[in-house]
Amino acid sequence: METKKIFCDITKCVGCRACELACAVEHSATRDLFLAILESPRPKKRIDTQFIEKDVFQSIGCQHCDDPPCVEACMASCIHKDKKTGKVDIDTKRCVACWMCIMACPFAAISRKAATENKALKCDLCPERECPACVDSCPTRALYHEARKDWAKREKNKVLIKK
Amino acid sequence: MKDKTFVIIGNSAAGLSCIEAIRENDKDSKIINISQEAHPPYSRCLLSYYLAGAIDKERLWVRSKDYYKDFNVEPLLKTEVASIDEKNKTVKVSGGRTINFDCLLFGAGGSAKKVDLKGIDKKGVFYLRTLDDADRIRAMLKCVKDVAVLGGGLIGLRAAYGLSRQGKKVHVIVKSSHVFSQILDFESADMIRQELVQNGIQIRTGLAAVEILGKEKCEGVLLDDGSRFECQLVIIGKGVSANIDLLKDKVKINEGIIVDDYLRTSQDFIYAAGDVAEGYDVLEGKPSVNAIWPAAVRQGKIAGFNISGQKTIYEGSCRMNSVDFFGIACISFGIVRPQGSEFEELIHGNLSKNIYRKIVLKNNRIVGGILVTDVEKHGVYMHLALQKIDISDIKDILVDEYFDFGKVIPLIKRQKDSFTRPEYQDANSTYTSIF
Repeated sequence: METKKIFCDITKCVGCRACELACAVEHSATRDLFLAILESPRPKKRIDTQFIEKDVFQSIGCQHCDDPPCVEACMASCIHKDKKTGKVDIDTKRCVACWMCIMACPFAAISRKAATENKALKCDLCPERECPACVDSCPTRALYHEARKDWAKREKNKVLIKK
Repeated sequence: MKDKTFVIIGNSAAGLSCIEAIRENDKDSKIINISQEAHPPYSRCLLSYYLAGAIDKERLWVRSKDYYKDFNVEPLLKTEVASIDEKNKTVKVSGGRTINFDCLLFGAGGSAKKVDLKGIDKKGVFYLRTLDDADRIRAMLKCVKDVAVLGGGLIGLRAAYGLSRQGKKVHVIVKSSHVFSQILDFESADMIRQELVQNGIQIRTGLAAVEILGKEKCEGVLLDDGSRFECQLVIIGKGVSANIDLLKDKVKINEGIIVDDYLRTSQDFIYAAGDVAEGYDVLEGKPSVNAIWPAAVRQGKIAGFNISGQKTIYEGSCRMNSVDFFGIACISFGIVRPQGSEFEELIHGNLSKNIYRKIVLKNNRIVGGILVTDVEKHGVYMHLALQKIDISDIKDILVDEYFDFGKVIPLIKRQKDSFTRPEYQDANSTYTSIF
């Protein structure tokens, strides 16, 4: 099975940061926007909306790489790539906050959970949801949760429609 | 059915990833894993955390209890390799057993560099390299108030940090003019030093210990400026040297064991990986011993693929290190203190917030960098460097606060062939279609 991850269609992304908000709420204790704001520590997002150039944005998080550098770098061996699903997961309990994963990640997709305890933090593809919160929340439907070959197919078809 | 015998010497990062890589291709061949330590596989890098009491022993084990059974490996723990006979392809181990092998991975790692110092054999003087060292230090911590750490590198300062977390008064004696002289420049090293000093660790630079005082037990240290101070424990962190004696005169050796692009030594059937191997350093542009965990894992893995018949090229690594003391993170890679006019430095610093970003360029390619506090983007820079991307288009914003991976997307479009990871193309595919 090929890894399912989150893809962003840059032509559709307007940089509204709805994905960031949905991500933080999904990873909060209360899972409610208005209560999450009051939580301490504030829940943290694991996806980042980035400005590329004028009017062009993207939303990017962990790429669950085919050959993940973070897995090799983790000296506590607490990051693993699931052989079946291809998902890259951090076992937070074993994380010692050495930041070797941050050192190695080509996409800056891992952050430090600074508020209470120091642990590496990244996209976990919302294990309790069928579809990750960011994908569900995107108002322009720019985000997709799928395998690379399906994404490529979609892109190909889009070009055909354009023509 | 494959019926070869592979001998893996060393069961740390390189050895383990080699075993796992071999088993991806070859489930049947015999694998024998030799280690001189009695413990199951553990992470040496975690020892300072163990010393600090931040983690318990259970978290040192980096593989499951049934690891050797699951991977169908015969472990020979607490076993010394007496000799390697490269002509007959045999390994002789302590206890007299001789093992025939078809292929051998030499991942014997490094040992703490020994120092010659008066009084070094007194009780209470330790190197910190193995779990046994850490256990011995922990066992005597109760009756220790003051600690001397000799060496201002990673081993020394991590140990100092760990022991100060245990409530000990730590004195660090550093020979060079600043701490981390190998991996940081003066500015960033000074930030870390100040943070350590503010948290009660005493750091004395430009000094060396000349004698460890006391009768049987260590009672103090005498320095070369004539001053002395009391301490009951001395930890020596003067670096690591590769354990290459077993292969001396058998394969080509420089600083470490010389390996080719497949991590083969000058003997076809002997591979080397980890702290013993002198692999290619992409940013230095020459072979170098990079005794770091990620390089050892990578090398072990590539060697494992090649051993099991899947030809794989080792693309090379670079020097990189990460530290976090009292919540201040600092990561650096590649060339951090460039010498010569061909280098260019881009620096952004904010001392009051402990923020520092420095990127070193050569011909508009990144060759090194240091990040303090704001470390998240380290990997973006490092992979631009490793892939030798021309960054002239984004040079003016490279060390800005708002630089992020998004600014790299236009580069992926323009220099498509240099970005080798498929994930780069995933991120770029729709951007390309805009124009």
